[in-house]
Amino acid sequence: MVNLPSLLCVDRNVEMIKIRNYKLINKVKVLGIVLPLLLITLSMKVWADTQYLTTEQFLTEHLTSEIPKPSTLWLVKDLVKPAKKILGHAPYQLRQRYWQQGNKTAWILEEIGKVEFITAGFVVEDGKIAQVRVLTYRESRGGEVRYSAFLKQYFGAVLKENNFLSQHIDGISGATLSVRSMTRMARLALYYDALSKQKE
Amino acid sequence: MKVKVLALSVLIGFASSGVMAASIEDKIDLLQEEIEQLKLRAEQADKRSAGGIQGFVDRTTIGGYGELHYNNYRGDTPAGKKQKNDEIDFHRFVLFFGHKFNDWISFKSELELEHAIAGDGKAGEIELEQAYLDFALNNHYNVKAGLFLIPMGLINETHEPPTFYGVERNEVEKRIIPSTWWEAGAGVYGEVTEGLNYQVNVTSSLNANKFKTGFADGVRGGRQKVGKANAENLAVSGALNYNGIPGLTFGGAFFTGETGQNVNSGVDARLTLWDVHARYQKDRLDMRALYAKGHLSDAAELKDATGINAAEDFYGWYAEAAYHVWKHGEQSFAPFVRYEKWDTHADVPNNVVRNNDNKNNIWTIGANYYPHPSVVVKADYQKFDDPDGSKGDKRLNLGLGYMF
Repeated sequence: MVNLPSLLCVDRNVEMIKIRNYKLINKVKVLGIVLPLLLITLSMKVWADTQYLTTEQFLTEHLTSEIPKPSTLWLVKDLVKPAKKILGHAPYQLRQRYWQQGNKTAWILEEIGKVEFITAGFVVEDGKIAQVRVLTYRESRGGEVRYSAFLKQYFGAVLKENNFLSQHIDGISGATLSVRSMTRMARLALYYDALSKQKE
Repeated sequence: MKVKVLALSVLIGFASSGVMAASIEDKIDLLQEEIEQLKLRAEQADKRSAGGIQGFVDRTTIGGYGELHYNNYRGDTPAGKKQKNDEIDFHRFVLFFGHKFNDWISFKSELELEHAIAGDGKAGEIELEQAYLDFALNNHYNVKAGLFLIPMGLINETHEPPTFYGVERNEVEKRIIPSTWWEAGAGVYGEVTEGLNYQVNVTSSLNANKFKTGFADGVRGGRQKVGKANAENLAVSGALNYNGIPGLTFGGAFFTGETGQNVNSGVDARLTLWDVHARYQKDRLDMRALYAKGHLSDAAELKDATGINAAEDFYGWYAEAAYHVWKHGEQSFAPFVRYEKWDTHADVPNNVVRNNDNKNNIWTIGANYYPHPSVVVKADYQKFDDPDGSKGDKRLNLGLGYMF
């Protein structure tokens, strides 16, 4: 005597096991592809803090082929206050090195984007931004600030009386903090350039 | 004894003065060298403070954001429903913790307290929204693994209050894209060419058995939040975005995976969700738009097995424009207007009765005032086409937000 429902039930169970096995195989397959890929990746030669340009390259490309001896700007007493206001914090360097060639000055500055430092180079000519490059970018998001389409927005910018830039800089979605950091550095470069002129 | 000491000191005195006289130039050289040494040391100290990898403090970062909301519910409510009382809510308090192990491995996390107080029977909850390891390899190819945000839409990955207009986030990126949405898994991301970024992830999936019975929020209820989550099903998600032109971002994203989680046989409930989005910020103008659509297979089977009134298709879209009418130094004031529309019952299976309350649209008008780019005071007024349940069809919202 065969109990039909229980037989059906067994069939159903077998079916379920089949589905389960099929799914398991599928999952193993996916993991089987993904995991080795990850391992291969991680064993690849790695570099994260992408250096696009060295200081020397920046200076020879954008200032002059013969790098002049660096000068030093001492941020003493009252000079540091506007810098503080521009950055929203005390400058990291109280002795700022820079290079001068004719009416051009070149500055290598560092500011935090979201959590990491961005190193950027600025050339100021006659009190106007003449060149901007990102030398090293360390954040995982926001690297778009190194694109020339973004950077050329700074060209020609001068410092207004309130130490803000004379022109609007369009931001980049997902790179808001990096953009702000670049703008702070541009303002600082212009301020420092003005100080270096006073020094002479 | 005394005489001996005196003689000795006189001798030493003669000797040293002899040396001094011999070379004042040497001494200058010595001083010069010492100055150079000091300079070098000062420089090294500067470098250290400027982000070298020395020291735990340098490698560990803290950030955060928060938002306080006040909602004043107005207007019509559905027949028999009492108007919801007005509400004040510290909606989100979030801390970011990050640590850099070396120049290519870092840890990132986001810990959130929602609605100010968590615990049994309390309004809020504590949520781990991100906690992943980032293996930065090169511009084109990087790996992340852990618990991270699904890269869909505009709000999900970038949701700090100063980055969007209006007190509350838009409804489409709550009901169609269930922001804030995170899963656990691994992914690769990078830059295809200048300005074009991709991301592909294999992660945990939603759980269809947890969708809300009415399906008014779409698949939102199915988020397992990676808390002892059912991992019978995996999902694949990805995004492609272009932001090579300053101010412009546009792109699309997808998420596809079964959500049945092997709970009811015959209910695979594959969910495929996709969106296209764009944002354009030019000078004082800030515009964004998004369209999102979802398709769920086995909606009829899911209804039979669980009673959930799931739809086969659901969609939503919105468009928004803001204009920074006033700017003064770091401060600015930006009125905005937004229109959004959605339908979580766009196409239902035969055994589900279409609910017209699952379809709605809203006009929102308001303004963001920024006393600082990272601090925002918000006010807006919302008019729903149909009453949003007991919350009514009109709403006045005030908000305060910050990020650091």
